[in-house]
Amino acid sequence: MATRRAPLEYNRAWQMKLWLFVVFFFLYAPLVALVIFSFNDSKRNIVWRGFTLKYYEKLFNNEDLLIAFANSLTIALFATLISLVIGALAGILLWRYRFFGKTAVEGAFTLPIVVPEICMGVSMLLFFTRVLPWPNDLIWPFSLGSIIIAHVSFCFPFVALVVRARLASFNQEQEEAARDLGANDWQAFRDVLLPHLKPALIAGALLSFTLSLDDFVITFFTSGPDTVTFPVKVYSMLRFSVTPEVNAASTMLILVTIVLMALMMLMQGRGKK
Amino acid sequence: MATQTQERRLAFLAIAVPPIAWVIVFFLAPLAIVWAYSFGQNQGLTEVDISGTFANYVRALQPLYLGIFAKSIFVAGITTLLCLIIGFPVALSIVFASERWRAWILLLIMLPFWTNLLIRTYALIAVLRTQGYVNFTLEWLWNQGSWLMTLVGLQPLGDFTPLQMLYNNFAVVFGLVYVHLPFMVLPLYAALDRLDKSLIEASLDLGAGHIRTLFLIVVPLALPGIISGIIITFVPALGAYLTPDLLGGPDSQMIANVIERQFKKANDWPFGASLSFLLMYATFAAIALRVYLTRGKPSDDGHGI
Amino acid sequence: MSDARKKSIFGSHSRRSILKGLGAAAVGITLTSKKFSALAAEEEKKLNFYNWDTYIGETTLEDFADASGIDVNMSLFATNDELFAKLRAGNPGYDVIVPGSEFVERMIKADLLEPLDHANIPNIKNIAPEFMDDAPFDPGRKYSLPYTWLVIGIGYRKSKVKEVPDSWKYLFNSDEYKGRIAVMSDASELFRNCFKYLGKSINDDSPELIKEAEAMLIKQKPNIKAFHEDNGQDLLLSGEVDLVMEYNGDIAQIMTEDDDINFVVPKEGAMKQQDTLAIPKGAPHPENALKFLNFIFEPEVGAEITKTILYPSPNAAAVALMPDSYKDNKVIFPPADLMAKCEYPRYLGADFTRLLDEAMTRLRAA
Repeated sequence: MATRRAPLEYNRAWQMKLWLFVVFFFLYAPLVALVIFSFNDSKRNIVWRGFTLKYYEKLFNNEDLLIAFANSLTIALFATLISLVIGALAGILLWRYRFFGKTAVEGAFTLPIVVPEICMGVSMLLFFTRVLPWPNDLIWPFSLGSIIIAHVSFCFPFVALVVRARLASFNQEQEEAARDLGANDWQAFRDVLLPHLKPALIAGALLSFTLSLDDFVITFFTSGPDTVTFPVKVYSMLRFSVTPEVNAASTMLILVTIVLMALMMLMQGRGKK
Repeated sequence: MATQTQERRLAFLAIAVPPIAWVIVFFLAPLAIVWAYSFGQNQGLTEVDISGTFANYVRALQPLYLGIFAKSIFVAGITTLLCLIIGFPVALSIVFASERWRAWILLLIMLPFWTNLLIRTYALIAVLRTQGYVNFTLEWLWNQGSWLMTLVGLQPLGDFTPLQMLYNNFAVVFGLVYVHLPFMVLPLYAALDRLDKSLIEASLDLGAGHIRTLFLIVVPLALPGIISGIIITFVPALGAYLTPDLLGGPDSQMIANVIERQFKKANDWPFGASLSFLLMYATFAAIALRVYLTRGKPSDDGHGI
Repeated sequence: MSDARKKSIFGSHSRRSILKGLGAAAVGITLTSKKFSALAAEEEKKLNFYNWDTYIGETTLEDFADASGIDVNMSLFATNDELFAKLRAGNPGYDVIVPGSEFVERMIKADLLEPLDHANIPNIKNIAPEFMDDAPFDPGRKYSLPYTWLVIGIGYRKSKVKEVPDSWKYLFNSDEYKGRIAVMSDASELFRNCFKYLGKSINDDSPELIKEAEAMLIKQKPNIKAFHEDNGQDLLLSGEVDLVMEYNGDIAQIMTEDDDINFVVPKEGAMKQQDTLAIPKGAPHPENALKFLNFIFEPEVGAEITKTILYPSPNAAAVALMPDSYKDNKVIFPPADLMAKCEYPRYLGADFTRLLDEAMTRLRAA
């Protein structure tokens, strides 16, 4: 037999490679344009007028954009962490136990996905002004608290969903075996269940981080005078054309993300076994 | 024995209380306020009088709005379908990739989505518009073709008419797929990952081709993940308003745009609330239907959603 | 709805709070914010300014901080509706806001604004009198002061039109420029200018008029390429359309980048607007706000702002300091006879707003 690839090596098939190539091309072409236009010498950034680095210079001097950036990253970080915890607990709860009102709880956890963003934004606005007034002069990062809370509310159901899908393949006997061998609940959880959940947690974390970083509507309604986030700032620039500065900021954001991810990969690779 | 039950109890509470408490205080309570609003009417410019009226719902069920609902469902449906078709091979590729590549492909899929939605949409506009890159390239090819034809002695091609890829429904679907692709890929990946690969090998050994294996073995086993992916793609697509707003044409109005207008320009929060809740009831009914239909199935692993 | 300008700018803002927080986190101690000082006797030296992006001079906020020692923290909103939506549930802490004239009227009716004590704003004398007297949305300017004024008209590409499109008919009732037209997506702006075309007033609230305008627009819809959300000037600049319904200030901005563009106020008249400065109720620093308002109307400050945003300014003293290229610009200051036909939009009640919105929904769904 000629060089027949192994049955599961789908990635060697030319169709798969082509598909991936096309998909990535479509995903990245607009972004490449974005990066290129961050060097455009035109305030309106519609037509290419010439190469310049001045918008990068402006970016690093534009405190507000940087602060908005920092705010967005902070919110995303905290929201992701909290969502992971709550979402994982929610997923495990629904998978493992039967209890009175389970369907209702299940429904309640799904609801945030179903609610239109603007509806949720308005409800959060009303809540944080009428029901639970969030003090305006808390020190950063607590001033971002109301936004973080709102973000967790719409992020954790996604984590729960992914965790639950993953748990479906978990063999409960493994846990029981661990318990038979003398582990208590917490140890069984930590050493048996948690490792199995890892891919789901990573996927959930990525989802949450993305959702939070990019959110505009809900953040707009829960933010106050001191808490401008990146999407809100960019959206307000919509009026006057997105200048190359925003492109520069996005390029930096992408770079930072790549670096962070690479670091994470490295650390994971080193820490493994 | 008693302490073990107690321990079990404690474990249950530790797992149950945080998410339930959170969802009640920071989600259901705020939503209840808006729900109450949907039964109210505007009093003056800022106050809403919750009078228990159904007028808003009656208004929301008029053919005008129902038609827009239907159209939105249709657009979101196409978007989800496209995402599924495009995303499935990508998820497969991630799952079957070597450890090293897997992380990179995953990262590369997620990376565009850490760019701000607005900026990505503007970038899309730059690509799709009349003087955008696609048309630019096409025009260049057209001109080259024309020139070649004159070389050979044929009539040159006429003037290049640029493709209208923006400010129409095509752009909206394109933009929605562009935005929602990772929401499909991630759950698919999570579900395919736990697939028992030996089943696939067995099927191939028994003589089934790749496509048949795919449809008869892989898809049914990955079904819960597929359903998750469909739901978390369809529902946000249904509620999207920024993309249709920026990329859409005169008749690309989706229900979320109408809702947004109620909360902003029209300053009619009760009506906006009733439209939102109608949207939610409908989606929820669809999910509940799905749950009901699959409850009895033997392959149901208690996943539920 | 109003617009603003190019050039990202900004002085120092809440950097202090963030740096403090970062420093504190790093060292691991929590500092108490200086705002927790219990003495509320004297207002602390801070101001929360809620504005459109880049709608201020490059150094204005810094200059104000230098002159008065008050730190200005400028946050951003993107449309008047957002501003209203944020404020209607209760002021989250803004001292000075920039509502459009129609929204000023709404806010006054909703009791969201503080009355302004003109005695404490001596620089009011620099404002051209017609802006103080002719303000039907805020008689006597009790609650707001004019920041900029604008008028809606038709921006067009000279090389692509047969003659100057000086009438609304080219946008609303003609297929001469089929597929090369963009109009505004805001129901109030779009429909009310239709009223002008139909020979009526902008403030005519009869339902039949709305129906008539709706029918006309539905008929015209196949010729319209896009309903733009206040970025019409980009569509014009990028060649996506050749005629656009836009504000004169926006078109003036892009004219600096492209000579082939011009602007005209249609002969039937159009809607004019003001962006105003106001102090919302519940502002934490009302004294500072008054000082800020007074500062804005200094001639040099006004000139600095206008140089940056290039919008028509009601500050006569500031305009006097501007170069002739600005003063004589027919786009920024359209001819008086056309301006005489333009009106300010009044708030015509919730029913009218609802009818307009439904007409818009029907138009978009058609």
